[in-house]
Amino acid sequence: MSSVCSGREALLALALLVGSSAESAAQGYRGWASTSLQVVELRPLGADTVPRSDVLTDAQGRFLYQGLEVSCVLTTVCTGYLPLDDAHVFAATQDVGVTIWGLGVQGLSFTAHARARAHAGGNDLVWPRADDAFDAITAYAQLQRGAIRIRAGRMDIQSGLGFSAFDGASASYARGALRGGVYAGRSLARGLREPAKEAFQALDDFFLDHSVLLFGASVSGRLSGTSATGRYQRELLWDRSSLVSERGSLDVSTTRGRFRLRGALDYDFAREQVGKGELTWSMPLQESRWLVELSARRYVPYFDLSTLWGFFEPISYSEVTARLGWSRTLDLAAWISGGRRTYGDTETTVVLQPMRDVGWRSEAGARWRPAARWTLDGEYHLEWGPGGFLSSADAAARYTVTTRITASLSALTFQQIEEYRLGQGRAFGGSASVDVAWNETTSFGAGASLIRHRDGGNVFTSPWSQSRAWATLRFDIGRDPGLARPEAAR
Amino acid sequence: MSARRALFGVLLSTAVAGGVGAWAASVRGLQEQPFPHRDHQGLFPLCTGCHEGVPLGNEADYYPEPASCSGCHDGVREERVTWQGPGERVGNVVYEHRPHDVALTDAGDPPLECASCHIPAGGERMAVADSVQLGTCWGCHAHTASEHQVDADCASCHLPLARTAFDSVRIAALPLPSDHASAAFLPLDHGTLVRADATKCATCHTQERCVACHVDATIVEIVSFPAAPPSMDLPSATAHYNEPASHTEGDWLLGHGGQASRAECATCHTSNDCTSCHVQPQPDVLATLPDRNEVLAPGVHVAATTPASHESLFFIEAHPTLAAAGDASCSTCHAEAFCTSCHDAPQGGGYHPRDFLSRHTAAAFGRDAECSTCHSTQVFCRTCHTQVGLVGTGRLGPGYHDDGPVWLLRHGQAARQNLESCASCHRQVDCTQCHSVLGAFKVSPHTTGFDAARAWAQSPRTCLACHAGNPLTGN
Repeated sequence: MSSVCSGREALLALALLVGSSAESAAQGYRGWASTSLQVVELRPLGADTVPRSDVLTDAQGRFLYQGLEVSCVLTTVCTGYLPLDDAHVFAATQDVGVTIWGLGVQGLSFTAHARARAHAGGNDLVWPRADDAFDAITAYAQLQRGAIRIRAGRMDIQSGLGFSAFDGASASYARGALRGGVYAGRSLARGLREPAKEAFQALDDFFLDHSVLLFGASVSGRLSGTSATGRYQRELLWDRSSLVSERGSLDVSTTRGRFRLRGALDYDFAREQVGKGELTWSMPLQESRWLVELSARRYVPYFDLSTLWGFFEPISYSEVTARLGWSRTLDLAAWISGGRRTYGDTETTVVLQPMRDVGWRSEAGARWRPAARWTLDGEYHLEWGPGGFLSSADAAARYTVTTRITASLSALTFQQIEEYRLGQGRAFGGSASVDVAWNETTSFGAGASLIRHRDGGNVFTSPWSQSRAWATLRFDIGRDPGLARPEAAR
Repeated sequence: MSARRALFGVLLSTAVAGGVGAWAASVRGLQEQPFPHRDHQGLFPLCTGCHEGVPLGNEADYYPEPASCSGCHDGVREERVTWQGPGERVGNVVYEHRPHDVALTDAGDPPLECASCHIPAGGERMAVADSVQLGTCWGCHAHTASEHQVDADCASCHLPLARTAFDSVRIAALPLPSDHASAAFLPLDHGTLVRADATKCATCHTQERCVACHVDATIVEIVSFPAAPPSMDLPSATAHYNEPASHTEGDWLLGHGGQASRAECATCHTSNDCTSCHVQPQPDVLATLPDRNEVLAPGVHVAATTPASHESLFFIEAHPTLAAAGDASCSTCHAEAFCTSCHDAPQGGGYHPRDFLSRHTAAAFGRDAECSTCHSTQVFCRTCHTQVGLVGTGRLGPGYHDDGPVWLLRHGQAARQNLESCASCHRQVDCTQCHSVLGAFKVSPHTTGFDAARAWAQSPRTCLACHAGNPLTGN
């Protein structure tokens, strides 16, 4: 598997770097290992057939099976999406992370985070990326000398332009409140840690036939309560025959007395158009007992030039959101929010029934700690707009048995309409879990959740029923002597 | 001045030497066991009868031999006594009788009488007090100090504490100058006073008192301060750390790095205080501060505090922009692993709640959660959707989208509104079947403002996929 090779290459490169160090005996190391096991059972949806004789035709000429529209191209059978039989999978994920330093060169360290996946029994298709056996999440060497930091290997950057991972090098300079950096390397598909060429190849007929080169630069500054970061990032095919993306972003946050303002804006240089943006103003009142927030937001999907999607020219929506929070103490808090979004003109021909171009969201929640060991949370979410609807409620109770053991119970119910697909019935469910910090270096967690869907007898309804159980075990080894407390506790 | 008066003064000053003078050289005094002078006033007409060495500066003859008492106290004429002579007595007054008298004589001034210092005003002859009368010094040495313990030049009359034999009780009983009670004295004034005249401070303090609070015990003001001898019994000292006013200002935490220096911070803080919050890269000032294990003072123990912004009920919604704007601020306290512990958690359930999967549809469709920030929706979403059956088949029938009539004729509007959702299930060839030059209907996917020339210049291969490629394969 190509991604396996890629990950192993990255780890091999790191091993070579470590091995070539002047002194092999590290002064220190810190590592962790996490094993996660999951059992999942759900009902996949699949295209299936129904006899043409069971399908009715309404006055508008639609083919309906049990009230839902199906496609009848042939005269004997019609097709629609039907829930398939229950499927289950037993999946395991193993993560290992390590940082070592003190290899004879001041400021030199090596960091790696690798993930392995395996599954046993059942239908492996119901577990995402179950066929991707190995990923090198990060694997880089770092040299930190005073204000300068240099990295080489596989790394990622989280920024106003999103999550960018690449195999390459980066350099940053930090002095006081000023920080700047540059980076370059082979781009990896977002969230996948695989070269875009390989990640896309398996899923689409249009795929990149070259690796993608990424480079970017950023500068951050902070002055009297105001922080700002500007970033520029460009991707192009390795042979430089085509541009893949060229974007910039500006993120600002400022505090003036009680007022806080934060804003973000990105710009697509390739298409010469403004991308996503957000401006939020917040103000605490009555010694922070109340908090008022008003947000204006613009969202437009972003697709790079390597696919056709962006050439279909998705439109943006604008949203205004108001939030109000109240907290008497940290033990009692409640909040409510509401937002309205409007979509721009799609420049499409509208036939029969135009799509809705307005959406709404609202949310209310509360947190209460009636006693030192108890935390109760409740939340209700309502959203409706073009193509989707959701009404869901959650309640959760968390009990601290001892300082090392916590137990949680949760319950939920929801009703939703997926992308322009009718949904019927309501789902109910709950979960129970326990987390145990065995000692300073070992922790364990386990739980199970169950969601049952009452579909009202409509076989075409998307099956939301599912059962899950999980268990995780984590070991921490060593600690950074420069940290006053274990990083995991932060 | 009469000769008699002068003699009397000399004698009296000799007597005082028992309490103060002899000690001046050896830092010891007398009268651990006070002599009952008044009981003997009829017997000894002159002070020098017993203290003949005082006016001569002969320390060996400052006091009579205890055995001389038995001349009278022989058990017959008078009962026996146990007076053993002057014992050790601590004191810190700088006074030597002989040089003092010489100085007076040289100046043409009359010598002091013993009673001037050793007998309270109006007291009878031989009503010798246990301690020197405080006002007697500046009866002559009138200084401009408005308050003796605050403004006077201490070293003129007093030894540094480090050179005394004071014990902890005696030190603790030293009077507190009035300026020490000021609220500004500890945080602001005392450093200035030390730098102006450390000898004044040394009258009542030793270096150990500085080190009890000061983390930066190696600064010159402290190093040059007289240290107590190892045998000295010092009272225990409690460290006082007054929080500077600057630290309570609203945005101080955000800007404190710009002011941080050894000079500004090291009085109270060790490097451990920095590392209680800061992770790599650690601030430069850290290297200049001592480690907590290397100093005697407890120092201020800083605990990592949550910034006010984090206390907001809506911090989760705010943190992406805050992090993007102030990357340096986040990385002050958070290592990169902190982000991935939620965003890329091995067991999931970090960033999204555990039951998010079953309800992610609406959140994804409305893009409340901007999925593409972390996920490549075309791959990540579609991989999973494919596996659970939510996948486009390329068919033109209603199929999955069944909430309204004639989906095919309406899908364009839906696609422009939520193209990320389309791409999370459909392949590109599902679209190019119709939306390509060689496709079934040749429906242009572009709007009226589409800049074809720029698109061609930037990514010709993508243009060719529709304009020259096979609409069913894209190749």
